[in-house]
Amino acid sequence: MEAAIFFIFYAGIPALGLLCAFLAGNWIAGRHEANLAQRSHAVAGIRMTDIKHMLDPVSGPQPPRLIVSEVTLGIDHFRGFLGKLKNIFGGEVRSYQATLDRARREVITRLLEEAYLEGFNAVANLRINFVDISGNATMAQKASAVSIIASGTAHYAATEAHQSMNQPMVAATGQ
Amino acid sequence: MIVVNTETIPGYEILQSLGIVQGNVVRAKHMGRDIAAGLKNLVGGELKGYTELLTESRRTAIQRMLDQAKELGADAIINVRFSTSAITQGAAELYVYGTAVKLQAADNQHAPSSSGVPVPPPLP
Repeated sequence: MEAAIFFIFYAGIPALGLLCAFLAGNWIAGRHEANLAQRSHAVAGIRMTDIKHMLDPVSGPQPPRLIVSEVTLGIDHFRGFLGKLKNIFGGEVRSYQATLDRARREVITRLLEEAYLEGFNAVANLRINFVDISGNATMAQKASAVSIIASGTAHYAATEAHQSMNQPMVAATGQ
Repeated sequence: MIVVNTETIPGYEILQSLGIVQGNVVRAKHMGRDIAAGLKNLVGGELKGYTELLTESRRTAIQRMLDQAKELGADAIINVRFSTSAITQGAAELYVYGTAVKLQAADNQHAPSSSGVPVPPPLP
């Protein structure tokens, strides 16, 4: 009897926690993917480049200006657990990769949306910086959050772009 | 004031560099936000409290940089860069810096150019 209580307490509750985190995490990630896919259509025509000068600039009603966007995305308990497990054996940690990829696409979409709302049609010198907001330099130590600040210069360009905005760099699996 | 993170501004000539201008800020959220973010982190998704923290920090830092540039009498800040460092859990330092410059609109300002060189809007 005591052994059963011991087992439930030390294995059952953490397992239940992981299951809840897995289900909720997958639902939130799926919803975010759908949301990104929807929003990226509107901004696909805004040309973005990381070149330090503006390509074929034309003048418009306002001068070029700096735009910035930021996002903080949590890595759920289950994926964090998988990542820690994977860290023992080494190799590609897909569970983190998928979250980082989503965070990056979110921050770029926000940046382009801001440019779009201001009426610009191009962004030059795109920069993506990761911020260590949670104070853990290594995510593998403690499953944590990822913060990104993206910046760029919005301006007017002569030609529009048709870039594919919504291609995940890795398959968004829970692995 | 024109603020860009490119090295040049099309349609304008850079007359004079006034040196580096900078702004920094260290901000933290109150404990309630930290706890809420910790709970949200169990299931993943956006931690809005921390996104807000970054937005507020960034605005303050840029404002401080702009104040410095105004004091120098600059027309624009070019090549703006962001840098961050973690002080402690839940707090972030945001440091923003750039080069303050004096500008002059390019010579062909009012002539519609045939060479495709853009006509810049007047200086703000």
